[in-house]
Amino acid sequence: MLLVDFIRDAVGLTGTHVGCDTTQCGACTVHLDGRAIKSCTLLAVQANGSKVTTIEGMADGDTLHPVQQAFSECHGLQCGYCTPGMVMAVSDLLRRNPRPTDDEIVDGLGGNICRCTGYINIVRSVKRAAELMAAS
Amino acid sequence: MQLRPGSRSIVRVSDNPGPADQRPSPPMPDHAHAPHAPFHRKEDRRLVTGHGLFTADRKFDGELHAVFLRSDRAHANIVSLDLEAARSMPGVHGVFTAEDGKRAGMTQVLHMLTLKGSDGQTPRIPPRGAFADARVRFVGEPIAMVVAESVLAGLDALEAIQIEYEDLPHVIDAERALAPGAPQLHECAPDNMAWVAEAGDSAAVDAALAAAATVVRLRVDSTRIIPNPMEPRTCAATYDATRDHYHVYSVTQGVNMMKRQIAVAAGVREDQVTVHAQDVGGSFGNRSAQYPEHCAVMLAAKALGRPIRWIGTRSECLASDYHGRSNLIEGQLAVDGDGRFTAIRLDWIADMGAFLTAAGTSSHTRNPVVLLTGVYKIAALHGRWRVAFTNTSPIAAYRGAGRPDVNYVIERLVDEAAAKLGLDPADLRRRNLIGAGEFPYKTPTGSVYEATDVPGSLEKAVKLADWDGFKARRAEARARGKLRGIGMASFIENTGAGVYPKDQVDIEVDAQGRVHAYSVAHSQGQGHETTFTQVIAEAMGVDTARVFLHEGVPDRTLIGNHTGGSRSLVGAGSVCKLAGLKLIEVAKSAAAAQFDTEPSQVEYHAGTLTDRASGKSTTLAELAQRAEGLRTQAEASIGSTFPTGCHIAEVEIDMQTGFTEVLSYVAVDDCGFAVNHTIVEGQVHGGILQGFGQVFGEKAIYDEQTGQLMTGSFMDYAMPRAGDVRHVTIEENCVPSKINSLGAKGVGESGCTGSISALANAMADAMRPLGGPPMDMPFTPSRVWHAIGASANAH
Amino acid sequence: MYEFEYVRPKSVADAASVLAANSDARLMSGGMTLLPTMKQRLAQASHLVHVGMLGELQQIAREGDTLVIGSAATHDAVATSTVVRTAIPALAKLAGGIGDPQVRYLGTLGGSIANNDPAADYPAAILGLGATVVTDRREIAADTWFQGLFTTALDEGEIVVRVHFPVPKRAGYSKIKHPATGYAMSGVLVVDTGAGIRVAATGGGNGVFRWAEAETALTKSMSASTLDGLTLDLAHFSEDIHATREYRAQLCRVMAARAVDQLLG
Repeated sequence: MLLVDFIRDAVGLTGTHVGCDTTQCGACTVHLDGRAIKSCTLLAVQANGSKVTTIEGMADGDTLHPVQQAFSECHGLQCGYCTPGMVMAVSDLLRRNPRPTDDEIVDGLGGNICRCTGYINIVRSVKRAAELMAAS
Repeated sequence: MQLRPGSRSIVRVSDNPGPADQRPSPPMPDHAHAPHAPFHRKEDRRLVTGHGLFTADRKFDGELHAVFLRSDRAHANIVSLDLEAARSMPGVHGVFTAEDGKRAGMTQVLHMLTLKGSDGQTPRIPPRGAFADARVRFVGEPIAMVVAESVLAGLDALEAIQIEYEDLPHVIDAERALAPGAPQLHECAPDNMAWVAEAGDSAAVDAALAAAATVVRLRVDSTRIIPNPMEPRTCAATYDATRDHYHVYSVTQGVNMMKRQIAVAAGVREDQVTVHAQDVGGSFGNRSAQYPEHCAVMLAAKALGRPIRWIGTRSECLASDYHGRSNLIEGQLAVDGDGRFTAIRLDWIADMGAFLTAAGTSSHTRNPVVLLTGVYKIAALHGRWRVAFTNTSPIAAYRGAGRPDVNYVIERLVDEAAAKLGLDPADLRRRNLIGAGEFPYKTPTGSVYEATDVPGSLEKAVKLADWDGFKARRAEARARGKLRGIGMASFIENTGAGVYPKDQVDIEVDAQGRVHAYSVAHSQGQGHETTFTQVIAEAMGVDTARVFLHEGVPDRTLIGNHTGGSRSLVGAGSVCKLAGLKLIEVAKSAAAAQFDTEPSQVEYHAGTLTDRASGKSTTLAELAQRAEGLRTQAEASIGSTFPTGCHIAEVEIDMQTGFTEVLSYVAVDDCGFAVNHTIVEGQVHGGILQGFGQVFGEKAIYDEQTGQLMTGSFMDYAMPRAGDVRHVTIEENCVPSKINSLGAKGVGESGCTGSISALANAMADAMRPLGGPPMDMPFTPSRVWHAIGASANAH
Repeated sequence: MYEFEYVRPKSVADAASVLAANSDARLMSGGMTLLPTMKQRLAQASHLVHVGMLGELQQIAREGDTLVIGSAATHDAVATSTVVRTAIPALAKLAGGIGDPQVRYLGTLGGSIANNDPAADYPAAILGLGATVVTDRREIAADTWFQGLFTTALDEGEIVVRVHFPVPKRAGYSKIKHPATGYAMSGVLVVDTGAGIRVAATGGGNGVFRWAEAETALTKSMSASTLDGLTLDLAHFSEDIHATREYRAQLCRVMAARAVDQLLG
């Protein structure tokens, strides 16, 4: 069983999405011990003993995670299907690199596909999230 | 959050809505041209926290899982299909094929054919059921469905199905399909021709071409695209035997249109079907269509008495989702000695794939006819559409649905004419554009364009893009070994006229005074919950936080159209305004009864109603708490609006690698009244990148020899990525529409319609100094590098 | 996926014994290629022996003039390692450009080189740097490691333990990503070992190779223009829907020139 199937079907957390079958789209991105990985390409058993954080675990009660906040503020999502994976990838990018350049943002988004936004507002969201995180 | 003028710098609005006589009549909100403060979309919180409800997120008690056996060849007879082993596999509840579908009356699909064939010819519509019947006609076509306890058990059973094929010759190219001797797909359609349609005045075009000082000819291929919304195609069905009623859960663009299509395809009445959907992960036209899988899961739900769920994989979707575009167009443009266009002729082959779909056929014929003159004053127009069958996945609507294609050929012709005449492409357009004072403009093919201001958009775009400074930038780039190009597209679109005769919106106030509106338009990312509620909040003077939109609620029977063709704000959105205003009147009447006065004596302000005479007041909430409640319904019949725009792209090609960088992109759009500029921008951004994808190499490719889909996974189908287009400047030059209460025109497709032409013109401009023949998309690095080399060798 | 048994061995020796006992068992390191293949039912295994977690395979250390990297070191670990960045910056850059961030956290050096995908980046590093692949049985030199598409000198049941990269005097790597996969459309590593020049090219389609003519030319003069007009055998390149053979060869030339520029800093 793949981790994503475990998360969606066994645990019932459906915020983690599946958008492809070749490890390209990143909609299934979750954090495994704090690092963004694609849960469609990891066996659930491989995560045994690790901490898995899904999109449902990002907000602190009613307070959105700064990356979630930034995506909403900057209209970085339209249909919202890729968004959980984007949020998980971006939060990891900003953990590694709190002030990324445009090229570093583009590289950081290299494992995630969005079909709606043209990525323009996603890149803005990443920059806004960096500001929010720096301020907090 | 209350809407108010803001100072957000990226929000730009027109300071020139056109000549005074072109201005719309009120009603317009006082701040119709005031920028709004940015705000969070209402749908965002659930979507950013993972609490959306997409179709695959739904689970059903006792559900079974469907998996499909699909054709792995382009064209073949099914000699034998042995299901016995599969049926006896562990966990398998049933295996279904064409026989089952036919028995259930599943033999046809809904068609929306709006164009007659030449000489009154009736389009030839091949039958299509839930499964391939004795013959497969494209790779990915469903042949059988296994229903099992789990997907894994189903996949195991699929492997146990024994199928024997007799291969038939196939044809994947539409032009070859129409040629003599081509393999034939359908008995009912000799020569693989679904029909031939014509529009315009052929003799007048002949005469104009003969008399023209210059004639430009160009053949373009608007390449086959796989729409690929990020949510894979998915559906589920349950069957209620006591009512003989199906509940179908599906990705969709609107429950009404989906219900109608499903009823036709499943051979049942519309009132036997309820379609359920909440969040839909993108569509771009693709999810408007009904698919064989809907029928298949319904069939099994009834036969087995259990909920049936199918979740498509991306590979399945790439092969069997309806594709988009695939139009091969030969264009001719006649120009007189003063650089004025005198005629356009288009000879168009519309590849429909293996079957006709509801939307694809009409959108690739009717929309080009409506827009055949583009944004130009041209006296003589003629077009011919040959609609062809090929051994490929059927074609349906994809962002723009024929509008990008017709604008593409026209805008490419205009730029080639400019090059041939040695004129600045902007100047050539200036000579020919329909002026802001010339509306309503009746085109020679009978369309009536409503007021817009393309010349104004062009001037704005030219300024923003520093069009006049381009020569220096080109020279500087050339010194660095780069080919730099600039390209413009002036375009027009017709928003969807709607399939249903009107759009209705229910509106009511709950006991807490919150306003709820109900619509059958369906957002797939457009943000209706935000814009529609904003419209109502403004109409009623209440906080948007107190207004809620509910789309596609199953027990509400509303007449209305699906979301598609950039029409929802124009249609359902503008009716939301009417609904808000009507609700105020209903509230006044209710308050008058309470105050024992006339409604005319009741003043309404921001949710509070006051009796002028007594000074007594009440609220929407109090009125709603009364037994009769507070609710009403509004409706309107709204046809097509005509969004326009002028986009300019600047590109630079690395001659060593053929890689292109899009250096800047300017989009000036007339989307009519913009309710929410942030959402308008988002729509334009997304459209631009989808156009970028098509222009630079996103393409469905079938192998000529084998008929196999070569772009069958995201390992080969190159989706646009972050960073592909980085610098976009958007301005609005809006002339509000007069045909709806908001003045909206729609903006869902304009980014794509503009960008395909602008980017391709920029590429042609970049490569023109090399002297080779004009190159067509896709501008993949490999193709561009070869074209550069071929030009260099030729000179 | 078909059913299989997941095995998490305690050591390389443990893993080897599972492989020896089960002919249909397969080794998994990061799983970035194997799992997608198994998901599509294109591969099958009785046991999946997951060595990616083994501590003994994670090592990244400089030992004299050799950089030693364990086979289960992830691309991210290599890309961000101070040791690697100091010893062979081009190798860190190469690892940091593989796939995407999520894949780099899981994909490993050993998995990549054992798979020997003709579009993978690491084969260029092995061949270009003249590395030695150390297995649980022997040491294999770079020049004999690659034996055709998706084929290596590894025997049945043999496990890559670590790779010894001789630290070169200087090196440069340049790559153009495939538009869909992020693999290399072309990737060229140019290495000045101190004793000679090695040029390794990947992404051509027919497997990683050394461009002998470029090595000779660059030995005489280390500059990008030295490569102009050099012979490059088209047999190294294949054609597909994305690129012609000639175009892939052109990319190889350009990437080699850019790698030289990087080497020169």
